Amino acid sequence: MDYTWHFQIVWDYRAVFIRGAIVTAQITFWATLIGLTLGLALGLMRRSEMVLLRAPAATFIELFRSTPALVQLVWIYYSLPILTGLQLSNTASVSVGLGLHAAAYFGEIFRAGVNSISKGQWDAARAIGMSYSQSMRRIILPQAIRRMIPPFINEFASLIKLTTLGSALAVYELLHEANNLINSTYRPLEIYTVLAVAFAVIIYPIIYASQRLERKWQLRQ
Amino acid sequence: MKEIMIKARNVQKSFGTHQVLKGIDLDITKGEVLAIIGPSGSGKSTFLRCMNFLEAYDFGEIWLGDQLVGYRKSASGALVKDKPARIAAVRARMGMVSQNFNLFPHMSVLENVIEGPIVVQRRKREDAVAQARSLLDRVGLSAKVDVYPETLSGGQQQRAAIARALAMNPEVMLFDEPTSALDPELVGEVLDVMRALAADGMTMVVVTHEMAFARDVADRVMMMDDGNRVEIDTPEKIFTNPSHPRTAEFLQRVLR
Ligand SMILES: Nc1ncnc2c1ncn2[C@@H]1O[C@H](COP(=O)(O)OP(=O)(O)OP(=O)(O)O)[C@@H](O)[C@H]1O
Ligand SMILES: [Mg+2]
Repeated sequence: MDYTWHFQIVWDYRAVFIRGAIVTAQITFWATLIGLTLGLALGLMRRSEMVLLRAPAATFIELFRSTPALVQLVWIYYSLPILTGLQLSNTASVSVGLGLHAAAYFGEIFRAGVNSISKGQWDAARAIGMSYSQSMRRIILPQAIRRMIPPFINEFASLIKLTTLGSALAVYELLHEANNLINSTYRPLEIYTVLAVAFAVIIYPIIYASQRLERKWQLRQ
Repeated sequence: MKEIMIKARNVQKSFGTHQVLKGIDLDITKGEVLAIIGPSGSGKSTFLRCMNFLEAYDFGEIWLGDQLVGYRKSASGALVKDKPARIAAVRARMGMVSQNFNLFPHMSVLENVIEGPIVVQRRKREDAVAQARSLLDRVGLSAKVDVYPETLSGGQQQRAAIARALAMNPEVMLFDEPTSALDPELVGEVLDVMRALAADGMTMVVVTHEMAFARDVADRVMMMDDGNRVEIDTPEKIFTNPSHPRTAEFLQRVLR
């Protein structure tokens, strides 16, 4: 087989890739923000002694962890306007959907991190008269966050990859822009190759950093 | 008549169906050093943890001065769980030192000691720091003020934990086997600090397996067995002529 590669095409259309990358970055940013805030709340709720807090958090988390992200996105895309009356743009809807998806995973990371701190630390904090929230903020979370960072980074990397699901909802992120380009240029190999390399270049350093941190902190314990 | 610092009446506690405290009565006077001894599993730690309500007792009453610990009397006279803020406030009046030190590993020794005064008592930072430095000096750690706990020996960690508890200016100090996690050669330095504290007139409740310490430093020794207070008396009486066979048997075993 002699196939002549034409990477020049990709370079000619670089503006399209950059446009797509910006949308991908926006979705990642908002989804991370929603995921972290809601995830912290879910993680804390799931640790609560009150069933009224614990049960909804557990249901949410398990529901989102046991269904495909694409199904979640499509469902949210169609049902959000009906349920809330809010007409979101496609990009916003995908950001919210991935944010909820990420919240389920971040919530579990928070919970596991907090649970990994020994009971003696709670005792010591409470023995000097700290309230629950003081103990959490000053003593438990600062220690737990260290252990949360490596799994958090992993989750963040999958979140970036999940943004490609936005193409199914006509969101002009990287994959969607790439597909459009293929339709006009008929150069799928070049374009998908560059796309894969672009994701790898962004994500591999993140995974590498997470592994380094994990090793460093394991050594220190 | 000496002022009563801690008063326990018929204190009971169960974990599930297992009754761990079976109705303990105790008066501790101001400035007194009380040692609690007894076999493993007899409920010593649980009783100590009920005093500052780290463990909620199910029945009976524990008083710190004129403050009921952990509960308040409702209009009908029944006891109901107190508000978290009031429980925290009564806890802050008691210092606690546990077997495993439990220093905060993400804070330097100094930060460990000023944490409670600044965050809980809302004292000025410079006052808290000045007091912390003098306390750390008192427990022989003035050279370790800025290091992190992980770099300290067990004995040093325990002395830092004592300084952290003292920084709250507690009315009572509760110790749960403060030396039992230490290498034998480090036990002495911690007991010396506790001796000095007792000599200064601090009210202390010390759960301990160090019989020499109980004999030399305690004003009274309480023997516990199977969730009961078997006897309570002066060290001379307990160690030379215990009135209960369980005490004699226990002492024979540990003093061998
Ligand atoms: N959180 C808990 N849940 C269930 N059982 C508990 C709990 N804490 C203590 N117990 C049980 O209560 C009993 C008394 O325990 P406690 O720790 O008070 O004994 P102790 O006298 O301090 O013993 P030791 O000398 O070994 O420290 C033990 O049988 C123990 O297993
Ligand atoms: Mg014990």
